[in-house]
Amino acid sequence: MMWIFAGLNFIFLASAVGLFFFLVLESYPILKLQGFDFWLGQDWWVGESYGALPMLYGSFFVTALACILVLPLALAVALFTSEFLSSSYRRFVKAILELLAGVPGIIYGLLGVSFLSLWIKNIFGLLDGNTLMTAGCLLSIMILPTVLTLSEDAMHAVPAEYRENALGLGLSKWQAAISVVLPQALPGIVGAVLLGIGRAMGETIAVMLVVGSLDRIPDPWFNIFTSAQTIPSKLGREAAEAIGEGTHWSALMALGLTLFLMVFLITLLGNHFLKRVHTS
Amino acid sequence: MLRFLTFSPKIVLMIRLLLFVLVVIGVAPLPVNADHPSKIEIVGSTTVLPIASLAAERFKSAHHLRILVNAGGSGVGIHSVARGRSDIGMASRELSGSERKRFEGSHLKVHTVGMDAVACVVSSEIYDSGVKSLTRKQIGDIYLGKVKNWKEVGGPDRKIVVVDKERHRGTRHVFMDFIFGKPTQKTPGTLLVTGSNNEEQAKIAQSDSAIGMLSYAWANDEVKAVAIRDKKYLISPTLETITKGDYPIVRKLSFITAGEPEGEVKEFLEFVKSPKGQMVVKESGYLPYK
Amino acid sequence: MSASTFEKVMLIVLSILTLLISSLLLVILATVFIKGLPALHSGFLTEASKDFGRAGGIFYQMVGTLILMSGAVLVSLPVALGSVIYQTQYLKSKKAKEFCRQSAQMLNATPTILFGLVGYLFFGVYLETGVSWVTGSLILAVMILPTLQISIREAIEALPEQYKDTGMSLGLSQWNQIKTIILPQSYYGIITGVLLGLARAAGETAAIMFAATTFSGVQFPESFSDPIPTLQTHMLVLTQEAANPHAIAQAWGAGGVLLALVFFMTFIAWILRSKLKMESEL
Repeated sequence: MMWIFAGLNFIFLASAVGLFFFLVLESYPILKLQGFDFWLGQDWWVGESYGALPMLYGSFFVTALACILVLPLALAVALFTSEFLSSSYRRFVKAILELLAGVPGIIYGLLGVSFLSLWIKNIFGLLDGNTLMTAGCLLSIMILPTVLTLSEDAMHAVPAEYRENALGLGLSKWQAAISVVLPQALPGIVGAVLLGIGRAMGETIAVMLVVGSLDRIPDPWFNIFTSAQTIPSKLGREAAEAIGEGTHWSALMALGLTLFLMVFLITLLGNHFLKRVHTS
Repeated sequence: MLRFLTFSPKIVLMIRLLLFVLVVIGVAPLPVNADHPSKIEIVGSTTVLPIASLAAERFKSAHHLRILVNAGGSGVGIHSVARGRSDIGMASRELSGSERKRFEGSHLKVHTVGMDAVACVVSSEIYDSGVKSLTRKQIGDIYLGKVKNWKEVGGPDRKIVVVDKERHRGTRHVFMDFIFGKPTQKTPGTLLVTGSNNEEQAKIAQSDSAIGMLSYAWANDEVKAVAIRDKKYLISPTLETITKGDYPIVRKLSFITAGEPEGEVKEFLEFVKSPKGQMVVKESGYLPYK
Repeated sequence: MSASTFEKVMLIVLSILTLLISSLLLVILATVFIKGLPALHSGFLTEASKDFGRAGGIFYQMVGTLILMSGAVLVSLPVALGSVIYQTQYLKSKKAKEFCRQSAQMLNATPTILFGLVGYLFFGVYLETGVSWVTGSLILAVMILPTLQISIREAIEALPEQYKDTGMSLGLSQWNQIKTIILPQSYYGIITGVLLGLARAAGETAAIMFAATTFSGVQFPESFSDPIPTLQTHMLVLTQEAANPHAIAQAWGAGGVLLALVFFMTFIAWILRSKLKMESEL
């Protein structure tokens, strides 16, 4: 019987490793052709050259935006839930977060197209609501449950003694939370944010519908109120066109490989930090 | 102290029920008949799609056949049929040089089923405020980013929302070929990239200062086609000018097959080219091929 | 202001924020319901879609989503169960266990569009399953593998060591132990894992949109090589017709159905999971 289980385990491992393996295999042609120019080039023009820089730029900025927007809110609510809510209310909040985390990306996409895009367009007086900012905002809402619940776990796992000591020294509950729990929970919080970033980087559908899909680095470079492109969004839009073989397909796979490596590293780092969360 | 998860007979029943339901749903699609039921797969241009869909509906009722019609754009359609992933590829443009070379081995055959005109469209608010025609150069400068405000071409003082299409789309090829002489022209003035005709139509309708490219059949109250100004002549895309051949941006709508069509695919193609099929073309807003 | 007043104010601010976030779920649900209302009519769940999806119902789309979900779980479950049992019961080397764990984490964090790309290449092109519901189910099966594994592993690891020791001291073979002790123990984990896996597969669009689906022409798949319509891709196409209120209403309606499906399963899984946690903490 053991061999059956071993075999099934092998299938699992093969799929995990195989994914990476195929990405590398399929990327080889374009990388051989263009080398480092692939990542440094700014022009993605099918049939001529494939430059991924605009996509890298977009992915980076959209993720950074999501991170900046989500952090204050997530930390505030996590702190409150962990330190000031009774356990039944806490369970309620955790349950809500779990449900929120399961909302499919296409729903967020709909929300983005129907509401967020128009709000951003009107609030900032833009020509069109499909911008980096829109995608960043949408993503921040999407990763909020993940970042929140993991940060909250990290805070809640800080041993009771720390709080008791602080209170014994005359600190108020609030002061104990801010000056003791928060710093102690920092590794876990960092881990939570990194995992959130990983998720934000990989989101395809919602971003594809609101980011504008323009393969260009904004001018000036910090202009987040204009259309741009991220890696998953590019893949989503062009995969159907190039499927299966050819230089174009290889370029898309190389983009995919880049994305995979970025997300993998961030997730690895994030999990490393999460491991340092106090276990009671 | 010893703990073992006990579960009531209820839980066991629930587990069995869930697994049963899963198996039933998961296995249900297994083919009822073992031999491959006939089907035709059609993929490609969103311009040609209404023709294919409507024709499929009419054709199906007389034959026992399934016809799958899917969007994706001319580029996807051509690629798909060349690689054997679909039976017919819909295209609203000619095969490009690189496509011809790349798919040489597939012996692609182009069957024209209708004619269409590509119009330069603007948001209705722009049209109503006086911009009813543009020269080729003006349109070109807008897409190149040299002209950024509507007031430079006789419109209101508003920034132009330049809407472009994905590079492989048939409508774009034809449009760019006319404006610049190059189907794959790069356009630094683009603000937004859309995919299907639906998406582009939606974007231009939603904006109050947009310009874009669409099949003239897709113009409506919110999306108006401007006339092309050529020296002294104003040529608007109307049925008359297009039929007479005066309107310059005209293209063929085609179904492409890999090699000579056979069997049901051949019959379907013949249906579309027949008077009944051409009725479908007209009903979709396009012109019958001559 | 004094320190304690500041604190009181901060607490009020935080509690408001927490309330807001908690109501986010409600807001999303309400939005979906309200925006989808125009499309909801008595036949919405049972009719086929008409007029390029702008009217009619979403019956076949629902069926398509259900087929992909179920197929994915059916394929994934044996692999998940088998691999977790192997890793927890047979594998001794720490390094090997760590490698397995890392692989699972890597699979879990992978952007789903990559599953679609590589999955189509491997299943659709190399194994020649084409653009079909089969390809879709296989791709999703790989995607939800870690989800199933986590739940099953949680359940198995909740079993106290004594049980294994008892089993060994009774002279049971390893397989016998697994059959009579470990396996029943994992049922809770299987159920929660399956539910979570179903929920995850249901909402997934990027992995299947060009590998398994079609917008029109197929109702029930009639062969292994048929693509199928799904709620997710139906919504995707309709969302791009933002200016057409009928299309958008249909998209919202489909979204409501999808959301209900996902929530229902996640909720039940959550209940089961907390029951598991509570019992093992006793």
